[in-house]
Amino acid sequence: MITLAKVRLVTAAASSDADLISAHAAGDPYAFSELVKRHRDRMWAVALRTLRDPEEAADALQEAFISAFRAASSFRAESQVTTWLHRIVVNACLDRMRRRQTRPTVPLPEAGPGEPVAPRDAMSDRETSLMVQQALMELPEEQRAPIVLVDVEGYSVAETAKLLGIAEGTVKSRCARGRAKLAKVLGHLRNRIADANVPADGVNVQEQRQWEGR
Amino acid sequence: MTGMERVPMGPPWSVDLIADLHAGVLPPEVAAQLRPRVEADAEAAEILRALDATLEDLQALPPIPMPDHVAARIDAALAAEARPGIAPVVSLNDARKRRNRRLGLGGGVLVAAAAAFGIVFAVAPGGDQANNTPGDAAPAPTTNSNSASAPLSLQRNELGSAVGEVLKAQNYGPLETPDRLAGCLKGGGITSSGTPLGISPINLEGKDAVMAILPAGLGEFRLVVLDPKTCGPDQPAGVLADTTIKPR
Repeated sequence: MITLAKVRLVTAAASSDADLISAHAAGDPYAFSELVKRHRDRMWAVALRTLRDPEEAADALQEAFISAFRAASSFRAESQVTTWLHRIVVNACLDRMRRRQTRPTVPLPEAGPGEPVAPRDAMSDRETSLMVQQALMELPEEQRAPIVLVDVEGYSVAETAKLLGIAEGTVKSRCARGRAKLAKVLGHLRNRIADANVPADGVNVQEQRQWEGR
Repeated sequence: MTGMERVPMGPPWSVDLIADLHAGVLPPEVAAQLRPRVEADAEAAEILRALDATLEDLQALPPIPMPDHVAARIDAALAAEARPGIAPVVSLNDARKRRNRRLGLGGGVLVAAAAAFGIVFAVAPGGDQANNTPGDAAPAPTTNSNSASAPLSLQRNELGSAVGEVLKAQNYGPLETPDRLAGCLKGGGITSSGTPLGISPINLEGKDAVMAILPAGLGEFRLVVLDPKTCGPDQPAGVLADTTIKPR
């Protein structure tokens, strides 16, 4: 029988996520909450940036953490705790995205690919962030999720592929599509270049599909 | 097959092609041929720089801390889950499905039928109580014109089963306003400031009620069930249930 005093000590002294999972499995009532506290900001950012809606993000996280709480005793240490927890959160977000597939995706604004929302030089960091955030929110969901994980949250392509359950080539290719769109909307591409471009579904789409599975 | 023969190796450049090169999508042999040509071409190099700048923008996005009310809500859900002697936080839909299975009805059939025919039906208060054995954790399929959000029917000993769903709601139901909630809490001698972590209409043993989940100190949460018909600042009897969730 583990006493409350002992389990509290484990929580306080736990130095790694794996320690916290073990303490949770051993009955420490505080261990899982501590694990959640360590990771919740990053998880919140992923959920919010993926789902766009704060209420949906909160619901997804609540479901994900409860599901992780229940599954934690069967957690196997071969996978990193963070990766495991992230996978549960990302899956909860993806489930929600799939459920609302019937809703139309908000298209990128047709401001003209070479016409940035405002001159970049005149913008503060905060304004830039808001503009980037807004542009990100308007990407199609299939491109937004990999961009959030790889480019914003810094996951590797391999980790992202595992999290999203798609091939690494697909992650790269969706990131490429998304970045190309963002580069236009964010005003990094000049008019001349953007205008001269083949549209997104141009001649390389066939090859693209063949390479996606790599 | 490399696809190389179909890849345009010169201007006019497609942003998508350069983005593929930039993201490492292209097969290595194609990329190896394309890269020097792209780097030698001013326009293509400019596209590469634009993609780099886009990446920098994305990487520079600031972190988004979880808002306090969301953190508190998740803490409450985990506390309810961790507390022994309180029914686990089950999904409302799962609970309904379980009940419907026992009745020989798929939840989907029930909902689809109601939707298809615009059926409005309700189980009379007390009626489902007679069919439930004490301690039965599955709620009765109380349905009304808004079947998707029909209040969860609960027994007194299974309040914990509603925590997960109530935390997701800010629905004062018949109480209507935060002021009314504050008055009802005051009647029960319950002090709480600010917005509840979650609030939702429920049906407690056949009676329409409202459940509120309130923060109650470090890591502790209070489940309060109010009778919207009788509760008020001077009506302690309007509090139908009051229990605190805390870790062991």
